[in-house]
Amino acid sequence: MAAIPKEKPSRIDELRAEFARYKADVKERGKPFYPYAMFHDTIMSLVVVCTIIGLAVIWKWSAWGPDHDPLHKGLLGAEVAAPADPGTTSFVPRPDWYFYFLFYLLRIFKWPESVFLGTVGVPTIALMLLIGLPFLDRRRARRPSARPVAMVAAVLTIVSMAVLTWKGATAKEALASEVKQNIPRWIKDEQLPPAARPGVQLFATAGCTACHTYDGAGGANLGAPDLTDIGTRNLGIDFQIKHLQCPSCVNPGSPMPPFASLGDERLKQLAIFLEASKGTH
Amino acid sequence: MATTYRRKPTKAEIRRQRMEELVTYPLDWLEERSGLIGGVRYFLFRNVPADINWMQTLGSAALTAFLVQAITGVILAMYYVPSAATDPHTGNPVAWESIVHITDDLTLGWLVRGMHRWGASVFIILMFLHMGRVFLFGAYKYPRELNWIVGVLILVMGMMEGFTGYLLPWDQTAYWATVVGINLNGTAPFLGPWLAQFLRGGQEIGGETLTRFYSLHMLVIPGAIIGLITLHLYLVIRLGVTSPPWSKEAAGMEPEEEEPARLRPGLTRPVPRPSGASAMQAEPGGQE
Ligand code: HEC
Repeated sequence: MAAIPKEKPSRIDELRAEFARYKADVKERGKPFYPYAMFHDTIMSLVVVCTIIGLAVIWKWSAWGPDHDPLHKGLLGAEVAAPADPGTTSFVPRPDWYFYFLFYLLRIFKWPESVFLGTVGVPTIALMLLIGLPFLDRRRARRPSARPVAMVAAVLTIVSMAVLTWKGATAKEALASEVKQNIPRWIKDEQLPPAARPGVQLFATAGCTACHTYDGAGGANLGAPDLTDIGTRNLGIDFQIKHLQCPSCVNPGSPMPPFASLGDERLKQLAIFLEASKGTH
Repeated sequence: MATTYRRKPTKAEIRRQRMEELVTYPLDWLEERSGLIGGVRYFLFRNVPADINWMQTLGSAALTAFLVQAITGVILAMYYVPSAATDPHTGNPVAWESIVHITDDLTLGWLVRGMHRWGASVFIILMFLHMGRVFLFGAYKYPRELNWIVGVLILVMGMMEGFTGYLLPWDQTAYWATVVGINLNGTAPFLGPWLAQFLRGGQEIGGETLTRFYSLHMLVIPGAIIGLITLHLYLVIRLGVTSPPWSKEAAGMEPEEEEPARLRPGLTRPVPRPSGASAMQAEPGGQE
């Protein structure tokens, strides 16, 4: 059409023009950072500092307890847990809350086919997408109403992060004291021979059930397999002991911690128990 | 400044001028040699869009939380002992004892440690909220792409601070969470086993792991974060902050006049007529 001789400006020209307009507008109609923006920033910072102090106070004064016990659990958790002990394994591996989503992700994937996705795949892809966002979304529009795809994607991301964090936070912790109550049932269900009895006790108290399920008890973490019928695979006592001593030596990449500190005697008991677990139920 | 007096200045006036010089002289001295005063003045009095809103305080709130971490961290470092060795008197690990000592014996030690511990969570939450705000405003778009990336890196570094700091109390929770965390790093292909080995400082998690985490936690990662935050702020000041995109007077908004004339019906406003013969053939508005 003769009336429009000018070509449509290229994308980058439009962006540059918009930014030049922005600069001019701010210069003309803006207001100085001090005192306007600084005022808001200062108030918000005070709120932040007060919140942090408040949390510290609630934490200390609810945890301190009447008997001044640092291990006492208050509203926000204990001051500190029992001292680290590589030999005692009645633990529940639990990260800080902002890793809960990862932690729970690992329950969804099963060893060994897909656990790799949970530990590396999904987080790496998520990070790539996050860093690459400005290059994936190259449209000029800034208004949320003009960016439906971005908004829906954001809501889905937030909801899934929130759900994973929540699930991670409320995931059933397999406490040794509760797991122990299952021992008689396990012995009956699995028809465990007397030789396997010491192993059962160990299995229930050494922290194995923090990751493994066994005959309907325990928590499935980090993609750890159910061990109800581990004996049917006839891996052999020797293999079981080696695996317990150093899981990643026999199953490369295994996230299961080494249990060498239990000592040979007890590892053997565990191995006998594992081999006796034939899932006869 | 040369002040010209009609009459002889009184004693009070002279004193006042001397006092003023006392303040301005060092400032002028510094400015002449560094330009720093001008920089600060630019920072404080530069214009920001008139319509910025409360959500835009989240960035500085996160910065405040980081400063709280830095200050409380420095104090904790004066009393914390990063040693996994066993105290012969009590049979407890030294690091664990120093944490209990800070929390229960030191004056206000509980407050400093409590603020550091909970400040970490507040810092992470504020970074996430700030990121959400930037996303909502579409503020990661041209020309601020680079600053988005710097921001993501700060977030990742912040989470690494969380991971390394979690081990330092050297209690059961810390120890076993780290055992599993490091083992998970080990499952990554290629670099995984190497990274796990590096973090552990050996085959087993022990004293070497603790000192390694301590060094990362209070020197390496904070150093990186401070560098990244400096870059982040430099870019914020250089590029300016965006108006809320839904604002009626958003800075940089397309002025109405720039809509191509052919899209306008020409009923409410006169169509600007370019001169020349071709202008006479311009189709009446409203058609493509
Ligand atoms: C931190 C989580 C965790 C804990 C605690 C844990 N495991 Fe595991 N376990 C795993 C994972 C993950 C796998 C799968 C990878 C592998 O085979 O090493 C696994 C695998 C196994 C296997 C199967 C090995 C194979 O080759 O198929 C056995 C048997 C086993 N664990 C026994 C135990 C026993 C006994 C304990 C307690 C002393 C225990 N686990 C504690 C995570 C854990």
